[in-house]
Amino acid sequence: MGIVSLILGIIAIIIDIATLGTGGIVSVILGVIGIIFGALGRKKAEGRGIATAGLVLSILGVIFGLIVYIACVACVAGVASLV
Amino acid sequence: MHLYIQIGELQLPSYSLMIVLGLLTGNFLVWILGKRYKMMFEDFLILEAYTCLGALGGSKGLYLFVMRDHIQWDRFFEPEYFSSLMLGGFVFYGGLIGGVLCFFLAGKIHRIDTGAFIRRFMFVVPLIHGFGRIGCFMAGCCYGRPYNGPGAVIFPENSMAPAGISLFPVQLAEAVCLFALAGILYLASLKIKSPLAVMALYFALYAVLRFVLEYFRYDDAERGGFWLFSTSQWISIGIVAALALTVPLLVRREKRSVRL
Repeated sequence: MGIVSLILGIIAIIIDIATLGTGGIVSVILGVIGIIFGALGRKKAEGRGIATAGLVLSILGVIFGLIVYIACVACVAGVASLV
Repeated sequence: MHLYIQIGELQLPSYSLMIVLGLLTGNFLVWILGKRYKMMFEDFLILEAYTCLGALGGSKGLYLFVMRDHIQWDRFFEPEYFSSLMLGGFVFYGGLIGGVLCFFLAGKIHRIDTGAFIRRFMFVVPLIHGFGRIGCFMAGCCYGRPYNGPGAVIFPENSMAPAGISLFPVQLAEAVCLFALAGILYLASLKIKSPLAVMALYFALYAVLRFVLEYFRYDDAERGGFWLFSTSQWISIGIVAALALTVPLLVRREKRSVRL
């Protein structure tokens, strides 16, 4: 669980940096799934350290992804804002 | 009313910054209060993550449904067009419905007591939403009707609202109401034992609030609606009707199960 979370968190952050916003939705989805695996991993006695690292990276991936993605969605591109 | 907030060299979009700030504030409060109530923060993170996935799918799904006549479906799978649709917009109510469904699904899959989390932390939902509305105000989206009374605002050229016209600050009005709603739900969680009652209270109060505030909005042309009401007002009516029909039955069932 922890390793999966760690991998997803790293991929989410890489996508954030590599795509500069256009891949925000993908990084948010991967990061959120990483959070689920990280939280599940932290509930187990073994591998809590890796799970915590995965959880933190996934949360960072989601935060960066949200900042760039929602910005495009609701404000800048703004085809229609129905928020 | 700034699309971007400058922090040193960084230029950060204010709308998403407010959403992230709301999420962080909400999670921090759950973390602090969760310790007091001896509830696992990891369980909350799992429920929250599922809810986010459901909310993302629901809000985008309802947006695509509302905009179905304006979407070129034959171009749907073209990467650029697909990307522009994904960046196009959200419908809050779609997110709410998708999020709620996924919240309960997470509880079933991971055997988490969703009732305890609803009762204690329902107030976090309007709290985060309130931050989002401040973000709307900063960006100028979801703007209000022309108005010249106290508190009227004039948006600048680069915002989404029509520039140079004095408008009612409906986003800030909604944010204040949402923070008040969060306070009411927090106080209710201290008094009311039933998670169902706390959740029903949130849905009922938000539905009424949203129905009324829709009359103060001026971005009608950009949003769906039919006959007398906007899409959000119809959903508000649907929620109140559904609550009126189901809550008495569920309360009766809850009381019976307590007696057993």
